[in-house]
Amino acid sequence: MSRTPPRRAPAPAGALAPQAPLSKDSHLAAEIKRLVAVGERDAARERYGELVASQQRRAVRIAYQYLRDAHDADEAVQDAFVKVFTHITSYREDLPFEVWFTRILVNACLDLRKSRSRRLRWAVPMSATNEVAPAEPTAPDPSPEQRLVSRERATEITAAVDSLPDRQRTVFTLCHVAEQTTAEVSQALGLSEATVRVHLFRAVRKLRRLLDRA
Amino acid sequence: MLDAVSSAEQEHLSTCGRCDARRVSMQRLLEEVSETAHAEADAAFPLERLNRQQARILARLQHEGRPARVIAFPAGHAPHEPIGSRTRPASRWIAAAAVGGLVVGVIAGRFGHDYSFQRAGINRVIASRTVEQPELRAPVSTGAIREVAASISDDEFLDQLESAVDAPAAAALQPLDDLTPRAWEVR
Repeated sequence: MSRTPPRRAPAPAGALAPQAPLSKDSHLAAEIKRLVAVGERDAARERYGELVASQQRRAVRIAYQYLRDAHDADEAVQDAFVKVFTHITSYREDLPFEVWFTRILVNACLDLRKSRSRRLRWAVPMSATNEVAPAEPTAPDPSPEQRLVSRERATEITAAVDSLPDRQRTVFTLCHVAEQTTAEVSQALGLSEATVRVHLFRAVRKLRRLLDRA
Repeated sequence: MLDAVSSAEQEHLSTCGRCDARRVSMQRLLEEVSETAHAEADAAFPLERLNRQQARILARLQHEGRPARVIAFPAGHAPHEPIGSRTRPASRWIAAAAVGGLVVGVIAGRFGHDYSFQRAGINRVIASRTVEQPELRAPVSTGAIREVAASISDDEFLDQLESAVDAPAAAALQPLDDLTPRAWEVR
């Protein structure tokens, strides 16, 4: 299981031009596309397993941050990967695979959120209190006191990110959780890079106001 | 976003301690948020779950692209007949036939009921038991409903009953009969 690649330096506007070096996963996606085009679906599926393993961790982080439910995130990620394979022939090889995949994943998350809100509209609430689920400790702290502080802080951070407006939250998640550049996020969301920067600036400002202890 | 520092910004940050401290604190905050998000997602999706998820994705892809099996129903029906032009008149005819059948059934039932009461000399008895004797079988096989002539005497009836009890098929029921309490045993 490969981990998320280290964060790249943000690219200036137009950095996703065809001459920009593409990632290993983009080349792999292009190869899968060729295999599907010549009818070698079994071989394509095998290669696709590698692509799934490479992108999976990043995908679940995005989906979980977006949906805040492990089951829904699991479903969204699965749907996104299946959709990517079934539409691999429409993948543009001159663009980074991550951008295309992120766009599909975000759409899958949005679809799932819509269906979840539809479900909740008809469901009887189990409890009147709207509690935020306690977050897992970020690291094994030596003392119980430190662990408690760390857990409280994680809960604060989760609540602060959840309080962001949808667009700001999406942009922030893609930039700081999925570790994409603003240029990639603008392509993934179909927004201008300036708009992405504005949303990101507002998100960071709000988070700073909510979380900054200094 | 914070990683991108132009030369002019770098120059300013090197001279302005306040801005530099602010930048560092913001950087730390964003790292904290990012680490928390990663830790939450990683706790919800341990490696085993990721492996299971990957297996499920590949299993779903196995079935992708295969044509779905369509079972023709009803068999032998023309599949490309336009539905709108076919179902509406057909359903009208079916409804009309159902209503007609109901009316005829009600009238016939009423007429037959009246007629049966007018018939003299014959009593109709509905027998709820099936007797194994062939001579008691009705000439027409109409299930458990048979016509029994009222002229049969009590002696004949008991005689037929005894012969039915002595039949080999009834022996199989003997253990069940032994288990069944008699009326005089129950107080």
